[in-house]
Amino acid sequence: MIELPVIESFDANEDTPRSRFWRSVSQYENSSEFKRISGEEFIPGASNAPEGATRRQFIQLMGASMAMAGLTACRKPLEHIVPFSHMPEDRVEGVPVFYASGMPFRGSLHPVLVESYDGRPRKIEGNPEHLDSLGTTSQYQQASVLNLYDPDRMSQVSHNGEASSWGAFKSFAASMSASSRVVVLAETSSSMTFAAARRNLEQRFSSVRWVNCPIGGNEAARGLNAAFGSGLRASHQLAGAKVIVSLDADFMGSVDQDSVSNARGFSASRNVEGTGEMSRLYVVESGYSITGGMADNRLRMKSAEVASFAAALAKALGAYAGDAGVHASHAWIEEVASDLRSAGSTGVVLVGDHQPAGVHALAASINTAIGAVGSTVQYLDANEDVSDVHAELEAIEADIAAGNVDVIVTLGLNPVYSHPGFAAAYAKVDERIHVGMHKDETAQQATWTIPQTHFLEEWGDGTSRSGVHGIVQPLIAPLYDDAHSVLEVVALLGSGIEEFGYDLVRSTWRSMFSGDFEKGWRKVVHDGFHEGSRFRSVNGSVSQSGVQAAMAGVSVAAHTGLEVVTRLDPKVLDGSFANNVWMQELPDPTTKVVWDNVAQMNPKTAEKLGLSAKLDGGKYIADIVKLDVGSASVEIPLWIQPGLADDSVQLTKGYGRNIVSDRAIRKTNFFDTSEVTDVYGQGAVSTGVGQSVNSLSSLIATATASKAGSGFMIASTQDHGAIQEEGEIVKKRGLFRQATVEEYRANPKFVAAGEPKPIREDWADYPTLWENSHPSKTEEITSSKYHDYQWGMVIDLNTCTGCSACIIACQSENNIQVVGKDQVSRGRDMHWIRTDRYFVSGDGATFDDPQMVLQPLPCQHCENAPCEQVCPVAATVHSPDGTNQMIYNRCIGTRYCANNCPYKVRRFNFYNWTKTLPETVQMAHNPNVTVRSRGVMEKCSFCIQRVRAVNKTANIENRPIEDGEVVTACQQACPSQAISFGNVADPNSAVSQKRTSDRRYELLAELNVKPRVSYLGRIRNPNPNLA
Amino acid sequence: MDKTLAHTADFHDEAPLVTGNLSFHDITEIVSSHTEKKTPLAWFGAFGLALSGLMLMITMIAYLVWNGTGVWGLNNPVGWGYAIVNFVFWVGIGHAGTLISAILFLFRQQWRTAINRSAEAMTIFAVICALVFPGIHVGRIWVAYWMFPIPNQMAMWPQFKSPLLWDVFAVSTYFTISAAFWYVGLVPDLATLRDRATGFRRKVMGVLAMGWTGANRHWRNYEKAYLLLAALATPLVLSVHSVVSFDFAVSVVPGWHTTIFPPYFVAGAIFSGFAMVVTLMVVARKVYGVENIITIDHLEKMNIVILLTGSMVGFAYITEFFIAWYSGVQYEQYAFTNRMFGPYAWAYWTMMSCNLFFPQFFWIKKLRRNITFMFVISIFVNIGMWFERFVITVTSLHRDYLPSSWDYYSPTFVDVLTFVGTFGLFFTFFLLFLRFLPIVAISEVKGVLPEANPHFYDHEGDGHAAEHTVSVSSADGNSAH
Repeated sequence: MIELPVIESFDANEDTPRSRFWRSVSQYENSSEFKRISGEEFIPGASNAPEGATRRQFIQLMGASMAMAGLTACRKPLEHIVPFSHMPEDRVEGVPVFYASGMPFRGSLHPVLVESYDGRPRKIEGNPEHLDSLGTTSQYQQASVLNLYDPDRMSQVSHNGEASSWGAFKSFAASMSASSRVVVLAETSSSMTFAAARRNLEQRFSSVRWVNCPIGGNEAARGLNAAFGSGLRASHQLAGAKVIVSLDADFMGSVDQDSVSNARGFSASRNVEGTGEMSRLYVVESGYSITGGMADNRLRMKSAEVASFAAALAKALGAYAGDAGVHASHAWIEEVASDLRSAGSTGVVLVGDHQPAGVHALAASINTAIGAVGSTVQYLDANEDVSDVHAELEAIEADIAAGNVDVIVTLGLNPVYSHPGFAAAYAKVDERIHVGMHKDETAQQATWTIPQTHFLEEWGDGTSRSGVHGIVQPLIAPLYDDAHSVLEVVALLGSGIEEFGYDLVRSTWRSMFSGDFEKGWRKVVHDGFHEGSRFRSVNGSVSQSGVQAAMAGVSVAAHTGLEVVTRLDPKVLDGSFANNVWMQELPDPTTKVVWDNVAQMNPKTAEKLGLSAKLDGGKYIADIVKLDVGSASVEIPLWIQPGLADDSVQLTKGYGRNIVSDRAIRKTNFFDTSEVTDVYGQGAVSTGVGQSVNSLSSLIATATASKAGSGFMIASTQDHGAIQEEGEIVKKRGLFRQATVEEYRANPKFVAAGEPKPIREDWADYPTLWENSHPSKTEEITSSKYHDYQWGMVIDLNTCTGCSACIIACQSENNIQVVGKDQVSRGRDMHWIRTDRYFVSGDGATFDDPQMVLQPLPCQHCENAPCEQVCPVAATVHSPDGTNQMIYNRCIGTRYCANNCPYKVRRFNFYNWTKTLPETVQMAHNPNVTVRSRGVMEKCSFCIQRVRAVNKTANIENRPIEDGEVVTACQQACPSQAISFGNVADPNSAVSQKRTSDRRYELLAELNVKPRVSYLGRIRNPNPNLA
Repeated sequence: MDKTLAHTADFHDEAPLVTGNLSFHDITEIVSSHTEKKTPLAWFGAFGLALSGLMLMITMIAYLVWNGTGVWGLNNPVGWGYAIVNFVFWVGIGHAGTLISAILFLFRQQWRTAINRSAEAMTIFAVICALVFPGIHVGRIWVAYWMFPIPNQMAMWPQFKSPLLWDVFAVSTYFTISAAFWYVGLVPDLATLRDRATGFRRKVMGVLAMGWTGANRHWRNYEKAYLLLAALATPLVLSVHSVVSFDFAVSVVPGWHTTIFPPYFVAGAIFSGFAMVVTLMVVARKVYGVENIITIDHLEKMNIVILLTGSMVGFAYITEFFIAWYSGVQYEQYAFTNRMFGPYAWAYWTMMSCNLFFPQFFWIKKLRRNITFMFVISIFVNIGMWFERFVITVTSLHRDYLPSSWDYYSPTFVDVLTFVGTFGLFFTFFLLFLRFLPIVAISEVKGVLPEANPHFYDHEGDGHAAEHTVSVSSADGNSAH
């Protein structure tokens, strides 16, 4: 891999007709095979380990990154990797450096701050200075760092299935005929530089048909286009909202593109303490989303009938004149409408992305009618693509069939997987160029496959959701030499000459500054974004005829039969995160299913269809249901989820992938179980996981269902032992305490009523034993320097949505291992923080229509920790700063502590999960956190490594730690800022303030374990008329 | 004193402890011959079977050590499963021997002499089986020795508040004392074997007999040592299982956190230990032809102990339920309701029927003297007591405080085969014992023969020494024993 200039010079001079020496015939002929191997000292495979980065590559990469650490703003187009002879000035070994960058994701640039250790990007946070993040992220940003280290990434350019080289592709690109008829399928991109490259490409070839395929469709933009006449983007400012109506919109779920800002705004609107008035959230939905779990009033309704509900609501508000259909006189309409009417500009209606454009248009009409535009909702001139992707793809298919397409280019997309109907046409094109991270379904059919760089390896730019221009800067040289960014590939195709991302981006940005370019550029690279640039907010009037037209094709009649709703998956999205093991093992926020997608339906529907699922020995064994929609059909395991609309089946996309990995299948001896100790042993991790539902082209469809099989085991992290009376137990034990806003006003200390009481005496009759000789009062503890800070956490259940970003953030920060479906089904998942889901019936909610609550649960860091007392070797002990810590190298693994933990937050390493981890995956590990080996217990440490880092800094600077200086990973990621962390010994700290709340309670407080984590009870604000 | 009156009032006047009118020499012959004759083929068969069981256990442990605790069926809420259940089960069985040897010795229960040797051997082997588990159940087996207070350069001591540590001390002390007690009791008999043996065997037995000559001074020292060890072992019988029960009772897990555990565990241990002795003796006395020494009366007495302790255990079960209701603690209430009607109800009812219901048949004298019947019941009790530990360990853990964490535990083949393998370990030792050591305490049994009574020959050897002795002792108000 070391590039020797002597050998390289052959490439450079290959066309010069001077005499030269040659070693073999193949060299003389300059065959592609020779070119591939000539760059290496030994033949391929002789000196390198067969998978991942070699030690040598790793050191090279580290070196490259070190070079970059010092050269952030002036990276040269080509780096030659040399060791330091002088250490760069600001470099300190082991101290992380943070770089602002952007994550191009679903057509926008998401502002991120990337932590880099010794040139190795490791953890992604939100950019706190950027308005669209304010430091928080969804789980996709958190998880995206693992995509960089995905061992199944494509590493080499290949041509017709044979290994090739970037050089060969360059030659090919240069030789392309200008008369080629080109089709480009691209991910939606907000990049200005990319747009420029696209223009070049369109100029070079006689015919270019460019289609953007947005993940999750563009019905929203098309609806707004119908209402306002251009591709606007709805942006919601929920902080000031008083009445929020969600029409099948999971606007706080991670699949919503604005989930971070929505969750933050929503949590601000729920500020019930003091005089703060509280918003009311109505949710009308067919599935059970986490937004539905937050709802004050929730209506189960088929997605197919939501259009009618929307029309009726619009009609009631005078915003629509058409037919309202089946729900014209629904009991809810008048209530919701009157609430919205009185809320006026503080009301808002949101619509789910999978609803047809007409419903989005109706929502725009309602929002305009109540005067919400400019207040709770802004329509931004984001120039969204409003083309009908399906129609365009069909037109291209026709073109291909007619032989009118010579070249098809797929940029980061996977149409063969996402549009199964398109696969046949795709294969008929002569030149099929694919750029992607994996050898995926499309790559396997392409003629040219180019490995794509991860956004942490490339230069780029784009605009955020609100239109702020930002920069993507690389933190590491591409892990694979052949990898190039989509931008670079398009630029190459557009000009035939290789151009580097850095130069391309800079040339775009040259036009964006008026003053000193270098100065401005430096600032942008440093900040990650260019201040001041925002999308224009449009205050247009709604075209009623446009709305009517958009509604023309939308049925408002009662839906008969079984509906199938297909959504993006809250974990793997459309499949782009399918090979991300953190996402595969992340429990679905509501079903808690891992490593599978399922057909959710409610118990009644399942019974009607003659389908069943049962718990057998703690495992969920389900029937497989066959859903026929027209000529398409899918077979998928059943999951029974209470609270869904009757006769509605919920599916998620993104599974059933077929990725080919270069890694060898792991072979183990018969006495060795290491094939189960990590998930990387059997080829690409996403291959064969779940079922693809992409053959159902319509997001809301009518289906017939039949039983196709039974006995399918679904792994979930929670339903191992579920019983129906669970909700009652939760209430009796006071685990999740909530009240309506009236109850809260009447009795602000309502949480005390939820406290379980002994039947005969009072708790006061049970004094704590040995209180005065408590270990925390010993001299060693109280005289410690750390003792001044007593760390504690408060989790506000009123704002926590259960979105699960904290789980991934924790996983990334604390080197939490992934164990795979089989081990999860055995109850061995390793997450340090989990979100417990309970259904609540009673108090107006029924078994068919229960409330759903989610409760995040990290280690509670009990002051009287039951785990500490039972460890025979003192491997879990209390720190002077009041946290409960695991001493991994002392732990012998008796598991007594886990048994004795009332919260069951301790996790045991049943196997050596890290023994066989691919090297690249190991690069994602946090060097400040021990990688646990087999046989030891582990659990949440309150991010002690972060605490100690701040201790160190404060100590060096000889100052006290400021409030808010220590931020745990879960707290940092939390979009709704439901988690507060800090020094509980300081009465002025934010966390101490929260601890004075009336709503505060401790979980299982009667055990006198004195948890350091406390919860703030949830307040609901239901419409009393809709009880 | 009137002879008839003495008969009715005197509980000493019971059936002879050794039947068949055996002489001292007969006893020596019967017991010693088994260690001296050519090894029967059947023994090899049984030993081969036991040895394969042992090999199975070793294989399973090797598999476990190589791969990790994950090869067992444990999961997150259920951190203890078969290993701990088996540990408590074997420790419990290991209770009978020392109880018979030490406590019954102190209470002058002479019928113990017939069974004490084999019961003690069983104790030691059962404790060995038990001791396999604490070592291998930890996640990092290679550092299990950190549980011992070994001085080290880190000045790092074990955490003395942990019941697991108390366990280490309790069980190891118990094992040491039991082994010493057993060996001391063996010395006179080993000397007997030495005296009868020749050649190499004589040398080995000679070393083991430690120069025993049967001198009066030897006997005096022996009796003192035996008495002292019995006194030392007696509290251990009670303490070891109390401490084992602390593993559970000290925790906060509903269903474990119970003050009744120490006496309840001790009763259960005696219960299971006696059942195991009955199981083994019923077979051994037949095979080894010692029916005259281990008589039906001995077995009946053991069955009475089983009935008594079984009822105590049953009482404890019911008390737990009462307290769960009476305390008003909902976690406790749920834990016990869940035992009866939850996913592990099958285990609970197995336990209840085997431990509480079936032993009640022993109220009927005919049944408790029926060899086949008692064998069946003793097997049931063994099963029941294994399930008791399973119920306590697993059903409490699988559903505790937060319903979100509830799960179900199922053992894997490694769990099951390791347990099966411990029977191989047990019987390997036990068969070696049967083959090479006197299975009945020769000297002690001789001590309870009618002939051993100093007054036996007072009336021309009519064999009614006991009556006469008692009459005399009653008259002067002083015990002759």
